[in-house]
Amino acid sequence: MITGTGIVKTFKQRGNVLAGREVRALRGVDFAIPKGGAASFIGESGCGKTTLGRIIAGLESYDEGEVVIDGTAMSGLKPKQRQPHFRKIQMIHQDPYSALNPTRTVHQTLFAPLSLRAKQTGRSKGWIEERAAEVLSLVGLDPGSVLARYPHQLSGGMRQRVVIARALTVDPEMLVADEAVSMIDVSLRLGILALLKDLRERLGVSVLFITHDVATARYIGDDGELYVIYRGQVVERGAVDTVIADPVHPYTQSLLSAIPVLHGLERPGEQPVVPLSSLDATGDDTGCLFASRCPFRGERCDERPLLQVSEGFPQEHACFYPERRSVIARPLSEV
Amino acid sequence: MSATLIPESASAAGTMRRNFWRGVWRVMKRKPSRMAGVVIVVGFAFMGVFGPMFYPDHLPGDINQITKPPSWEHWFGTDPQGRDVLALVITGSRYVLLCAAVTAVITVVAGTAIGLFSGFKRGRWDTVLMRITDMKLTIPGLPLLLVLATVWKFGSPMQMGLVLGLLGWGGVARAVRAQTLSLRERGFIEAARGLGLSTTHIVSKELLPSMAPYIAMNMLISVTGAVYAQVGLFFLGVLPYESDNWGVMLNLAVFQAGAMIQPNALGYLLAPLLAILLLTLGIVLVVDAMDEIFNPRLREE
Amino acid sequence: MAEQAPGVRIGGLTVVYKTPAGELPAVRDVSLTLEPGSITGIVGESGSGKSTLALSLLNAVQPPGRISAGSVEIDGLGNVAALKGEELRKARGRHIGYVFQAAQNSLNPLKTVGKQLLDLGRSHGVEDLRGLVRDAKELLGRMGLDGARVLDSHQHELSGGMRQRVGIMLALVLNAHLVVLDEPTTALDMITQANILKIVREVHAERGLTTLVITHDIGVVAEVADRLAVMYGGRLVEQGPTREVLGSPSHPYTKGLINAIPRLVGDIDEARALPGRPPTLATVPKQGCVFRERCALRMDVCDTVDPEAVAHGPRIVACHAVTVKEHA
Repeated sequence: MITGTGIVKTFKQRGNVLAGREVRALRGVDFAIPKGGAASFIGESGCGKTTLGRIIAGLESYDEGEVVIDGTAMSGLKPKQRQPHFRKIQMIHQDPYSALNPTRTVHQTLFAPLSLRAKQTGRSKGWIEERAAEVLSLVGLDPGSVLARYPHQLSGGMRQRVVIARALTVDPEMLVADEAVSMIDVSLRLGILALLKDLRERLGVSVLFITHDVATARYIGDDGELYVIYRGQVVERGAVDTVIADPVHPYTQSLLSAIPVLHGLERPGEQPVVPLSSLDATGDDTGCLFASRCPFRGERCDERPLLQVSEGFPQEHACFYPERRSVIARPLSEV
Repeated sequence: MSATLIPESASAAGTMRRNFWRGVWRVMKRKPSRMAGVVIVVGFAFMGVFGPMFYPDHLPGDINQITKPPSWEHWFGTDPQGRDVLALVITGSRYVLLCAAVTAVITVVAGTAIGLFSGFKRGRWDTVLMRITDMKLTIPGLPLLLVLATVWKFGSPMQMGLVLGLLGWGGVARAVRAQTLSLRERGFIEAARGLGLSTTHIVSKELLPSMAPYIAMNMLISVTGAVYAQVGLFFLGVLPYESDNWGVMLNLAVFQAGAMIQPNALGYLLAPLLAILLLTLGIVLVVDAMDEIFNPRLREE
Repeated sequence: MAEQAPGVRIGGLTVVYKTPAGELPAVRDVSLTLEPGSITGIVGESGSGKSTLALSLLNAVQPPGRISAGSVEIDGLGNVAALKGEELRKARGRHIGYVFQAAQNSLNPLKTVGKQLLDLGRSHGVEDLRGLVRDAKELLGRMGLDGARVLDSHQHELSGGMRQRVGIMLALVLNAHLVVLDEPTTALDMITQANILKIVREVHAERGLTTLVITHDIGVVAEVADRLAVMYGGRLVEQGPTREVLGSPSHPYTKGLINAIPRLVGDIDEARALPGRPPTLATVPKQGCVFRERCALRMDVCDTVDPEAVAHGPRIVACHAVTVKEHA
């Protein structure tokens, strides 16, 4: 179980000595991902979803709040003591091309973490080789044909599989997939998504999916939770299918309205929500963060709404005027 | 799964090494100029190591053959003491090449180590090391060498190489640091950290190989730099003629044999110059292949 | 040139790249007609040859590539594939506007947008530079930007969506009526993408353009294009009216591609990845159908004979299995 409470992260923009501008990347985010569970963070670029993912994977520090991994709070620990905890959480990067060292073969890539593992547990060299073949088979690659290859000899999809195999060498509890399929050919994306889902089911690894493409978030499984993040704040949170089918926050609704409609197969939703302006991360920080773009702005929006449950809606949301709207495209066959 | 054959890691490493050399061979074969470069460089190395063994410690001079132009007997003529110029070039090469090798090794080892450490650790260490590097870079090399020459005789090529090496690592350190800074942001370095791999592993196995072409190029180029520097010093005559080498030859050719006005002594002047030119050419031709040798993609293509 | 949208007829176009293994075709025998005033979308994965095809429209395929056969007829310009030097340079920009892939990076980071606009004007011999700036501001204003401010900005001061709009402005400001957009929304997030696609549609209608959109994302084409062409391994495997192709795809690759898109509703297990992987220049079969390795309908004839593009009503499909079914 990995939880976070009140995570705050502020980036100080460098480059200007006199006027260091501060960017609030995260403004008190709570999350909880149970063992073997799944969650996805969605939002526009710059909303803080990637920063949050990196904090969870131990690659980024945070200013306030607490990350708890299996009951151990991280903030009190020294970096050396934190390391073994964060090792249970492995990051799958967006770009499989830079995630593998071009000068090392697949064998070398897997051998290093495995031999470390073998040393810690007192296992033999044979175990390393066996395990290397095993993790490759787990991600759907043929060990015999890929072990001796360099990354440039593999396709994008195969590389991403090797990256996942490398993460599996340390028996992780959770995989953090940051836009893990956006650089992969369309016809192969689904294979990677299915693999992540499959690893969840077979190995009980939890999956955290970070994406701007809401539809891919469904692949983590229907028991997964969806976190919609806007300018460092979670604005809607609930079961994946609930939030997608019945979003109540205008921001979630605009995200879903923006998804292209496959005309000929689908018809668009009846009440699409279009934001009044484009994202301005430097905008004013008082009141509701989305208010300046929100077509449904009301009197109370000068205050900051908190994530809460209100009557009639199964999900949590941060809006004073929640309302269901039919925004997503539906298949023609459904009518 | 059990059906797949997995080679033992020891033999796997052996295969890898064999593949590497096969790749190197392929890269070299791609352009005839590279092969020529290798032949030249290997030839010079051979000359430096074994050449002097074929000659007595003190080359015999023939009084009847003083400062002669090139002939069949003496390909580059003779010097004012009647010694064969080609023999002088060969016996003199050991000092020059040994010094250059020492310089190259010191430059690259010190430069790479400091650059890597600085770029990888960042923070306070980085600041301190880079200030030192900057200070070192501001020291003008030639005047310092001139001053040093008054107190130190540089009788052995090791001493000479040591001094040149200690003067030369600054640029490499800066460049390696810049490379390290950009590489450490790459996904695979971050992943290695996330997997809990040791810093030693990350630096030696992940970072260093990515920088290998760079380092190898710097090493080869610093060889030529060292050759120029020492030959220059000896030519200027700021160092005593305690040893035979190309710089001393040039100096004697110009100032003693009067090669500028004496056509007979032209061979004496040209022979060491040609040697330097040829060595530089060889190195430049080999450097051309470095990128392809250390980049698996270019190597295997 | 005529002030209305030009038609484009690509006939039997083949573009080859010189490699150590000989000359390999990136685009092979492609015929495609862009009706005047239409938006056509070309969909394909990496290595399908879609970008090479788009570059051929400007005869801008860079060595080691070259157009080895076929023609690209553009109304008012003639066969672009035969144009050379100065004529060709004038045609680009003046008649054909090209919005490069990831316009994010195609701007000069050291110059303001305005300076780059003036450079563009000068290199095309525009006399009235003031007028050019006025047009640019108008176009930017039309796309919801503050023209004066954007022209004064450097690339790093603009967001991804703004840069893409600047790219569209630069492609249109010389009054080109044929516009090619190469991956117009890659690396943009959903809301910005929807915005850009809306702008593409509106500008297309208002200025009377013929537009070609190149993308890997069927969703993008579905939103903007009237006609859809699917490329695979350098071949055009299916083309037809967008709604028809999406509603009832004929070619097994088109079917697979549409099936592989995760959707928001319905059973997600219905969506399926295609087996195998897209071919590269080196692995694309030299003989027979390029898709057969991944095809569920593979027959013996597919190994030896390259299927011809056959018209079935408004639809053109290159597949033996589909042809057989039609005749049966």
